[in-house]
Amino acid sequence: MAKWAIILGVCLLNIVVAVDKNNFKSCEQSSFCRRLRKYQPGESTYHLDFSALHITDNVVEAQLINTQVPEVNLKLTLTAIIGNIFRVSVDEVNGLHSRYKPQFALNGDPQETKLEVVARNLEQVTVSSGDSKVVLTAKPLKIEFYTKDKLVNVVNSKGLFAFEHYRNKPAEGETDPQIQDDPGAWEENFKSHHDTKPRGPSAIAADFNFPNAERVYGLPEHGDSLSLKSTQQNNLDPYRLYNLDVFEYELDSTMAIYGAVPVVYAVSPQHSVGVFWHNAAETWVDIKNSKDTDIISSLVDFVNPSSKETFVDVRFMSESGVLDFFVLMGPTLKSAVKQYVSLTGVHGLPQLFTLAYHQSRWNYNDQDDVTTVVANFDIHNLPLDVMWLDIEYTEGKKYFTWDHIKFSNPDNMVSNLTSTGRKLVVIIDPHIKREGGYFLHEDALKHDFYVKNKDGSVYEGWCWPGSSSYLDFYNPSTVDYYKKLYSLDNFKGTSHDVWIWNDMNEPSVFNGPEITMPKDCVHYGGWEHRDVHNEYALAHTIGTYQGLRLRSPHKRPFILTRGHFAGSQRYTAMWTGDNDAKWSHLAVSFPMCLSEALGGISFCGADVGGFFNNPDTELLQRWYQAGIWLPFFRAHAHIDTKRREPYLFSDDIINRIRTALRLRYAHLPLWYTLFWEHETQGEPVLRPLLYHYPEKEVIDIDNTALIGNSVLVRPVSEPGVTSVEVYLPGGSNANWYDLSTFTLYHGGSYKLSVDLDTHVAFYRGGSIIPRKDRPRRSSTIMHRDPFTLYVALDNEKTASGTLYLDDYESYEYKNAKKYIYLLFNYSNNKLTSSLLDKTDYPTEEWIEKVVILGPPAGIKGAKLISKSLGTVDLETSYDKQMKYLTVRKPGVSVREPFSIELV
Amino acid sequence: MDVFKIYSCFKIKCLFFLIFLVELSTSSVEIPRPRGVSLSRAGLYDPEKDFTCLDGSKTIPYDQVNDDYCDCNDSSDEPGTNACANGSFYCLNAGYKPQILASNRVNDGICDCCDGADEYTGRKSCINNCLEIGRAAREEAARYAELLKIGKQMRTELSQQGKKIKNEKQAKLNELRKNKEEAEKIKTEKEELKKQAEEVENKALEYYRELEEQHRKQKAEKESEKLREEAVDNFNKLDSNQDGLIDISEIQTRQTFDRDRNGEVTEEEAKIFLDNQDSADLETFIEKSWPLMKPFVTLESGMFKPPALESEAEDLKENDEQNEYGEGDHEAEEEEEEEESDDKAQHEDIENEEHITYDEETQKLVDIATEARSQLADSEKEVRNINDEIRDIEQSLKKDFGPDEEFATLEGQCFEYSDREYIYKLCPFDKTVQIPKSNSLETNLGRWSKWDGPNNNPYGLMFYDHGQNCWNGPNRTTKVKVTCGTENKLISVSEPNRCEYAFEFQTPAACRELSNESGTDLHDEL
Repeated sequence: MAKWAIILGVCLLNIVVAVDKNNFKSCEQSSFCRRLRKYQPGESTYHLDFSALHITDNVVEAQLINTQVPEVNLKLTLTAIIGNIFRVSVDEVNGLHSRYKPQFALNGDPQETKLEVVARNLEQVTVSSGDSKVVLTAKPLKIEFYTKDKLVNVVNSKGLFAFEHYRNKPAEGETDPQIQDDPGAWEENFKSHHDTKPRGPSAIAADFNFPNAERVYGLPEHGDSLSLKSTQQNNLDPYRLYNLDVFEYELDSTMAIYGAVPVVYAVSPQHSVGVFWHNAAETWVDIKNSKDTDIISSLVDFVNPSSKETFVDVRFMSESGVLDFFVLMGPTLKSAVKQYVSLTGVHGLPQLFTLAYHQSRWNYNDQDDVTTVVANFDIHNLPLDVMWLDIEYTEGKKYFTWDHIKFSNPDNMVSNLTSTGRKLVVIIDPHIKREGGYFLHEDALKHDFYVKNKDGSVYEGWCWPGSSSYLDFYNPSTVDYYKKLYSLDNFKGTSHDVWIWNDMNEPSVFNGPEITMPKDCVHYGGWEHRDVHNEYALAHTIGTYQGLRLRSPHKRPFILTRGHFAGSQRYTAMWTGDNDAKWSHLAVSFPMCLSEALGGISFCGADVGGFFNNPDTELLQRWYQAGIWLPFFRAHAHIDTKRREPYLFSDDIINRIRTALRLRYAHLPLWYTLFWEHETQGEPVLRPLLYHYPEKEVIDIDNTALIGNSVLVRPVSEPGVTSVEVYLPGGSNANWYDLSTFTLYHGGSYKLSVDLDTHVAFYRGGSIIPRKDRPRRSSTIMHRDPFTLYVALDNEKTASGTLYLDDYESYEYKNAKKYIYLLFNYSNNKLTSSLLDKTDYPTEEWIEKVVILGPPAGIKGAKLISKSLGTVDLETSYDKQMKYLTVRKPGVSVREPFSIELV
Repeated sequence: MDVFKIYSCFKIKCLFFLIFLVELSTSSVEIPRPRGVSLSRAGLYDPEKDFTCLDGSKTIPYDQVNDDYCDCNDSSDEPGTNACANGSFYCLNAGYKPQILASNRVNDGICDCCDGADEYTGRKSCINNCLEIGRAAREEAARYAELLKIGKQMRTELSQQGKKIKNEKQAKLNELRKNKEEAEKIKTEKEELKKQAEEVENKALEYYRELEEQHRKQKAEKESEKLREEAVDNFNKLDSNQDGLIDISEIQTRQTFDRDRNGEVTEEEAKIFLDNQDSADLETFIEKSWPLMKPFVTLESGMFKPPALESEAEDLKENDEQNEYGEGDHEAEEEEEEEESDDKAQHEDIENEEHITYDEETQKLVDIATEARSQLADSEKEVRNINDEIRDIEQSLKKDFGPDEEFATLEGQCFEYSDREYIYKLCPFDKTVQIPKSNSLETNLGRWSKWDGPNNNPYGLMFYDHGQNCWNGPNRTTKVKVTCGTENKLISVSEPNRCEYAFEFQTPAACRELSNESGTDLHDEL
């Protein structure tokens, strides 16, 4: 929530309509990017020295020499990681300063596995692990990765590898052979900000060539398409990864915004491979895709088509840190994503309510306002689970306090909410108001919990409260203190049903360079902010996570963050920040969340309605219809916008939004099951078509998404349209059933007519979708409600699906195996339910209905068999118009296996 | 009353009677009907027969009614469960009033009916508090009835006063219109008198005018001579090589002429003073160069403040102010500025006027003319005043003070409400304002626009719009909810939307029965 309007507005007076690019660096303005980007492809000056090769069971180590500066001692380490992953690290031996390796991105130390030496001589070393093979070439440095015997990735094929060791500043008049005379190497200015760079240049870079790849995906967070564009074309800057609070960020842009996940996947229909660049400093990534090569080479291709080879080149450049990357060997996109997730972790199963509807606004004015909004949702029969409070609930922007007049009795407000199964989320930001008497500030000063200037004094920046300092979450004692702040004793007015929103944690500093913290600030352990910047938000949310675990040990925490990094998924949900009430921002929310999902962060959403400005009612309705299909579903709005809670509109609009909300609530069992499978199997919840369908047609489709593998959605994000185009994958044998009309489509391209009521969404033939079709005012109330199974038959008249359930909030599913995980199978006119895990949960939930799409003809009834009910005859009915069969009231508990045979 | 009788009297009239009975009685009447069905619909659920959905779409065995499975598209087979998405549940709430809930409220762990009928699984135990609620509601109804009774009397009085005010205004208007005629007549006479007096005065003053003209000429000559001397003097000073010409280099040596203050007098800068030539002789210098140079020379000697700079400074200051407050009351500022400049002009006139003494006779004539002018001005003012008054009254008469003029007495009054930071003022039929307690800068939240209540209560809401503009937003508006109370009182203020204010105002003028009071009717369509 960059509530920037006020501050900028004073200076500009006119309404600011878009991002002010001048506030943010281009590659040319960032010294190391400018320096490294000047490298031309050619022979690399880096050589491996295999004379002193050190090989153990799991590790290959060799000395790496830059022939420009042969006296510098670098070491390259290659390891194999369980799950078909390789890791390559390069660090200085006895360098002037130590180099930073991210502390929090990895979910524990990756487990190494055995490397077999296949061949070795002074020129080349070949090692293998499983089906994969790595060839290290000494002169010049080259690392080739093979799956079986297919070359899938080459490091330093273009000779753009770079490693700027720490050095002493050259004397006046001396030229550094590596740095040359780059004026920004030893100090750097941007606008009125001066970066003193006391440790000098320290950048690193490596280029990765992916032969035969058609596209690359990944590198969230950018307001951009899912498929990454060729940079360097049309003066396009490299994709930048540097967590920044960008006011009114623009789309189709490689500019950095709030989050940074440095992973890419190079994909072709035949093969996928990924690279995770494990670095937390400012990073720029150049992409070159053969499809975008210039006209001359296209002509050559035309003349000599055999020379046409597809490839993608990716080059990572970072300002500091150890050069450390993982190669995710695939061979499918799905397996590469799982490999990434095996390194950085997953989001644990969230409480059910977090997947329901969230209502936010900057700001609900007072406690009565909160109560009234909820009452209005009830009056209009609109489901709602969570109310949110933005910064104005605090006493003068002092976190962990309440405005004692507007929120004089938060306990009462919270119990009003929980009496109808609702929850509250309040905001807590990492900047701390510098005000005498504010306990948090005084404690932080006393115990030295703040980030420092380079001279050791406490850093002061400007944020919501005015003059602020920033907690240093890299300091274990800070985190230890911070997590206790969330205790109910300390944060009065909260309860076990109040959860947390961590915003502004890029960190946002209104008067800092690029609206963030100066790079020469110093963190615990002596690390410069430059080294750790992209990890700050992650470190912040870890503190919050620990705090909530401590506060409510029996409930799964819910945290929403804006800044994020690789690994953030283990602790938080994220949203796409301060978007705009524009159609383009509605549309981009899907590619953005799809990109995050490939980056391991499944729990993603965008502000429904758009944060800035006022959406017209068509846009608002479409946004609800789209927003229900993203994992995190929250409406939010800027303080200057008009109120837009759905009940404020005319009946037809309320009805459409109610329909959308009810669809979301009906599918909660599906979402919940998918999050269980995300936790246990590492699968993203939201998936691009190409995740399941390696078809050439889908590689650029990002306006369509799959929810798990069973629902395909193509939200309408164009104004005033009467038709939209949709591509249904899988070929002519694939069945897709319109989710509202049950009309059957086969794979292919369609132009579908739409009106304001239309949801363009389909069930995949072959899947069984568990739903709860009884609309309730909140998800908590649905815990005991019965299920309806939607059985969408494929061409073979078969289908299958899963269902996960438990108490929907506690850790009993982990601690005591109290859960039920079911597999539904349908074949030969018979639906069976069986337990996938030998576990149980004493639930009252039961099956109230089975709806079969594409059913066999001539069905007269059905026979249910289960242990406790014996054999029961069930009624069936066929809807001739919509062509579906209903099995009436099986009435069987989900706890026991059963079968239902159509007769 | 036995069951058979109830069924047999299933006719509309009888039905109303029944409901009436139930509502009055405090003990519940037991009638066999499916759970969640109202008494009026009980007859549609006959346990002896198959059940036909009320929309006629389907017939099901009676035992599938309320069996926790939704068979009917219209939800009518599950009146007592939450199985149907759009069903409704009826609770009797004996002792209070019956209620119809959305059926998704049934067995959701929240007690919605005061008799607790909506929660029957035993998981949630609800206390039956219909009696207390009923009592409280009846007390409240009685209290309101009492309030309304008193209020209505007061309203009648207000209405009489209002009508009186209206008549008075009308009478006053008529009187003013008469006065206006009178005043205009006087004005015409005074105009004639003034004309005559001025003719005489003019003739008498002819001599003095000529005298004055001579004075002026002499003075101008003197001044031009002085200017020339000054120019010659400066020419000599500047002409360092004494060649009778001022050239570029001679100007460049003087920092005084560094127009852009970049520390250097460029050739271009110098040329500007030389009429864009390379040099200037004495005559050209006097005519063209010196008038341009003089401000710089005098500025240097500290005698002169260039007007441009002054206004720039003012602009800056103004911007600062705007920034500080985010928004300024532009109108007020402009007015102030105008007044200031008027003052200045007058002041200068007085200074420049030279004192001339007339002979006694002429002075007399002048005095007479002055008196005539003054009298005309007075009569004009009188006409203007009357016109203003007429306009005010006409505008007031155009306002809608309610069907019985009951709101008329509120005009001209203001009512205050104070919260933590602000004092809010409602001046009915005029404006709403907000005044911070920290200073007294008044912000206009809207000017009277219209009554904006719903059809059944058009006088329930006042609308004020075109208030002060919000930064980056709309003009402020205020909606004032007007309710019945025994005194005029502003009872609450909030800002539900940015720059959209909601006031609540109580007044006896609003005490009357509304055509359809607060939906107490329980619709029970058949």
